[in-house]
Amino acid sequence: MWSIALKTLIADRGKLLTALVGVVFSIVLVNVQGGFFLGLIRKASLLVEHGQADIWVGHRKMHNVDFPRDIPQRWVNRIRAVPGVKRAEPYLIGFADMSLPSGGFEQVAVVGADQASLLGSAWNVTQGNPLALARQNAVIMDECEVQKLEFPKVGTTREIGGRRAKIVAMSHGIMGFLVTPYIFTTYDRAASYLNKSPDVCSYFLVQLEPNANVNRVCEAIQRRVPELDVFPREEYGWISINYWMTRTGLGISFGAATLLGLLVGMVIVAQTLYAMVLDRLAEFGTLKAIGATERQVCSILLIQALAMALVGSILGLLAVWGIVYFYSTPRAPIVVPVWLSLGSCLLVLVICLVASLLPYLRIRNVDPLMVLES
Amino acid sequence: MIGSQLDETITKPIAVSTEGIHKSYRSGATVTPVLEGVDLVIRREQCVFLAGPSGSGKTTLLSILGCILSPDQGRVQILDQDISTLDEQARTAIRRNRIGFVFQRFHLIRGLTSLENVCVPLTLQGMPHHKAASRAADLLDAVGLSHRAHTHSHNLSSGECQRVALARALSADPDLVLADEPTASLDATNGQEVMKLLRRLTTEEGRTAIIVTHDQRIFPFADKVFHLENGRIAETAGSTSTALLESER
Repeated sequence: MWSIALKTLIADRGKLLTALVGVVFSIVLVNVQGGFFLGLIRKASLLVEHGQADIWVGHRKMHNVDFPRDIPQRWVNRIRAVPGVKRAEPYLIGFADMSLPSGGFEQVAVVGADQASLLGSAWNVTQGNPLALARQNAVIMDECEVQKLEFPKVGTTREIGGRRAKIVAMSHGIMGFLVTPYIFTTYDRAASYLNKSPDVCSYFLVQLEPNANVNRVCEAIQRRVPELDVFPREEYGWISINYWMTRTGLGISFGAATLLGLLVGMVIVAQTLYAMVLDRLAEFGTLKAIGATERQVCSILLIQALAMALVGSILGLLAVWGIVYFYSTPRAPIVVPVWLSLGSCLLVLVICLVASLLPYLRIRNVDPLMVLES
Repeated sequence: MIGSQLDETITKPIAVSTEGIHKSYRSGATVTPVLEGVDLVIRREQCVFLAGPSGSGKTTLLSILGCILSPDQGRVQILDQDISTLDEQARTAIRRNRIGFVFQRFHLIRGLTSLENVCVPLTLQGMPHHKAASRAADLLDAVGLSHRAHTHSHNLSSGECQRVALARALSADPDLVLADEPTASLDATNGQEVMKLLRRLTTEEGRTAIIVTHDQRIFPFADKVFHLENGRIAETAGSTSTALLESER
């Protein structure tokens, strides 16, 4: 059956190509749309994901890493005393204006990390030395944000919150969900840029001892600081993502576009399969006349649908790989995890099988008598 | 000699018999009778023609004998099996395992080579590919097309297509071969060639062949010709086919 199904499928090259275009279209659309969505939404938890902290402790009902509320900095000692905690450091996030050479200002998100551990500070530093943050007025910014900040370089001095800030290093690809560029510096310096008292901070970042159980330590911290919320890294990352998902309808718009693409792909595949079947009604009639069972005839159609799904998925994934390779940027990252690719292939497989249902209904009604009457 | 051969044929067991077959087609409230009490007996190793004008019921009768249609009334026995009351599944199994079909327009599967087309009935039977290919090659050789085994059907001439179709009809080693106007799409030479092959099925391989045809040029190949008219067998005639075949060898 495989041989008959595949050879007859290949014989109709024009129609096969059309169906493959439909499948490839669906795969590319799901992966690229999904990839854009994941790339965008992951920006919402960028600091959490790369912050090197196992646990995030912050104000009660904290819901977004970029919008923290102040908490007393002195409570960090309570957390440091919890068994299993290797390190707990205050962390500050807030917004301030950076002066620009043209005389204008650009709002930036100032991130202050502990000077000794640099827990939660910039990563992927490509220019300068991250340890230079110890120097006076030192800050790190991202090289992808230079346009917004009128092209500063390592060594450039600006003002943030009316205070001097010297760029000592640049990272690559730290672009948050908000349009404001991140500026990394030390905790104390951040407090001064943000004009905050050093007695308050935004979070406590906690690193665990090896073999410590994250959930148990979370519970222990919660008991010590019942006024605060305590979340493992992954959970707080999801909370931050969920904030944008639920408050912006982002998921719905991306999802709707993806669904539309899938629908178009399905229509193309179904229409092509149907056209192929209509073209070959006499052959299906012949098969029935010479003794093919309904199951065998159906299996031919299913094999053809499977083959189209498989080949189309491979071609589609190659196209996706090319798109990600050439077009994914820190500003518009396309994140295509394996589960998305596999999921899209599975989805397309289901689409192809569903699409073969319509032609199957047509074939079911084919009377073998037709080959004798023709 | 002819008389003795006819006697010999009459002693052969019955391959196909029908008793009082009626068949009508319905279109809305309109009922059009096509067969109105067809009785016939065809013995094994006979080559029998069903002839008659268009609309006389030849194709319908062939379809009933080929287990494609069921009669409304009457009894049909094929190869010792009463098929009148069989369900679709059982009739499909008979078509697959015991009957070979040759169609007027060949109905080869596009995209498949001659060899692959001949393999199709064997594939439907579940035979492993290498065995099916080996048997198909033998059959193509028997119809003189071994050199075209790997040619796709759209590159074959009409005569070659019909010979491939004949090889396909024989691939499942059927006892009964049904042919619907097998020479209608062929020129005289190819028509004669195909008929010689069909005739050899009965004389050399012991199969039974029932052929629907309008083509009077091939009537000499028949052992018996049933003329249908208005859904009934109007006339039955014998023939000198075996003698003809012998003379042409």
